[in-house]
Amino acid sequence: MKKILIIFGVLSLLIFIRPALGLNAAQTTADSTTITQTEEVSDDRFIDEALGGIKLFYNYTGFANATAGNLLMILIGIVFIYLGIKFDYEPLLLIPIGAGVIIGNIPFVAGNQTGIYETGSVLNYLYFGVVKGIYPPLIFLGIGAMTDFSSLIANPKLMLLGAAAQIGVFATFLGALYLGFNLPEAGAIGIIGGADGPTAIFLSSKLANGVNILADGTVVKNLIGPIAIAAYSYMALVPVIQPPLMRLLISKEDRKIRMKPPRAVSQKEKMLFPIVALILTTFISPGSLPLLGMLFFGNLLKESGRTERLADTARTKLIDIVTILLGVTVGASTQADIFITKDSMLIFGLGAISFVIATMGGLFFAKFMNLFLKGEDRINPLIGAAGVSAVPDSARVVHAEALKSDPNNYLLMHAMAPNVAGVIGSAIAAGIILSFLG
Amino acid sequence: MLPKLLYIDQLSEGYVILITGLLIVFGSLIILSLFFKYGVPIMLYAYKIVTKGRDRKIKDISVTADEKFTGEIAAAIATAIHLYLSEKHDTENTILTIKQARKLYSPWSSKIYGTQNRL
Repeated sequence: MKKILIIFGVLSLLIFIRPALGLNAAQTTADSTTITQTEEVSDDRFIDEALGGIKLFYNYTGFANATAGNLLMILIGIVFIYLGIKFDYEPLLLIPIGAGVIIGNIPFVAGNQTGIYETGSVLNYLYFGVVKGIYPPLIFLGIGAMTDFSSLIANPKLMLLGAAAQIGVFATFLGALYLGFNLPEAGAIGIIGGADGPTAIFLSSKLANGVNILADGTVVKNLIGPIAIAAYSYMALVPVIQPPLMRLLISKEDRKIRMKPPRAVSQKEKMLFPIVALILTTFISPGSLPLLGMLFFGNLLKESGRTERLADTARTKLIDIVTILLGVTVGASTQADIFITKDSMLIFGLGAISFVIATMGGLFFAKFMNLFLKGEDRINPLIGAAGVSAVPDSARVVHAEALKSDPNNYLLMHAMAPNVAGVIGSAIAAGIILSFLG
Repeated sequence: MLPKLLYIDQLSEGYVILITGLLIVFGSLIILSLFFKYGVPIMLYAYKIVTKGRDRKIKDISVTADEKFTGEIAAAIATAIHLYLSEKHDTENTILTIKQARKLYSPWSSKIYGTQNRL
């Protein structure tokens, strides 16, 4: 308190000393009679100026420019941070995004290169990586260097579960079309059902970036912010969304099915996987080349056994740096005047539905596969839910759900297979949508 | 008129994308899984045949060079390593009081509470 008083005292002294000095300067030239006049005038002007300055300053502060939207978004940012800290829902994503939401919604006067949407501002440069789709492939590189595909190699039929969950992508796409979004926008919204943040950002930066011009001459809307936020928030909410659906759709007996442990996979197969999968998938869907190319490249770095240093950097430092930048800029792109629209609300609704459909698609397809499988080969239908990507949260949810009905049934390794297949599947789906609409 | 036409056109194209997209996703993952079910074992088998000549079996490794390396020597080396790694109590760090005591006051060198002058 004392310090504040001292600082204020010094500041006011500095402010008051200026007119006094100016007065001294006037004294040397003016008569003694005019001195009083000038004193009065300068005093008046000073107060006016000071008030005007304060007013100007006030107009530049957040208090003058705050809108209800800004305050609402800041509150949402705080909720994100709270969810990340308190419930441990993907804190590595929710905390950067939450902080970004607060950063992006501090009210400011436009035109000073402050905001994320103003060309030339620092945030705008960082946001460049989102708009041009640079960050997602780098994230995929790290994911590839982290992921162990051996459970998938051991049981290749589980790959189909990853494909089945992509029905959420296409169903949402259709739903968005019905709600009146045009084709590219609907494609970008649909990919929320892929439950894969980087893929969603990649596709929306290509299709719904606010730059492309449609056939009928209109410009597409910029939906990167809402789509990314929807994808990431529903990914964080996987532990809330999926368990009720699992309990609803899978009978108690089916939930108790034990799967035989996956066979051991040789190192040669692990090395072969990224190369073969890269060539096969990108020949089929070249649109997903940036994502799948980097994913399998990262995995090759991990499995080759000779590039441990590169793999280590990709899965730790590199992905951390990119996650930080991606999280903050995606969060900051939710500037209230651009973010709070009817479209965003629709996107959030569609996103929730797409997660539900994707989960149901995976679960039903797993039950369907069980019709053809006998005895030991049967799969626990719960792992179908892991077909939505959301690595590794949905696999963990499946594991936890299975433990609830049978405390000795460990499904984590089995669930990882459809989980990583889901990543591949949603990247392929993104490539297909891109090749149709891009 | 025109917007409605566009709208209908969009939906039908949406259905086309829905069907083809799903088929392609399924198709590509089926191909991938089939390849790993059948293709990869064949490739590995072929690789094995190609490199068969150079693959050394355990019985091919000559033992003449290691004739003097008996089980006793191996046991002695193993014991030495074991002792070196986990039985190193004799060479423990002798600096014991380098950390500051958690208590700010302790009467260990007290002038009041000593063995000589008990209260």
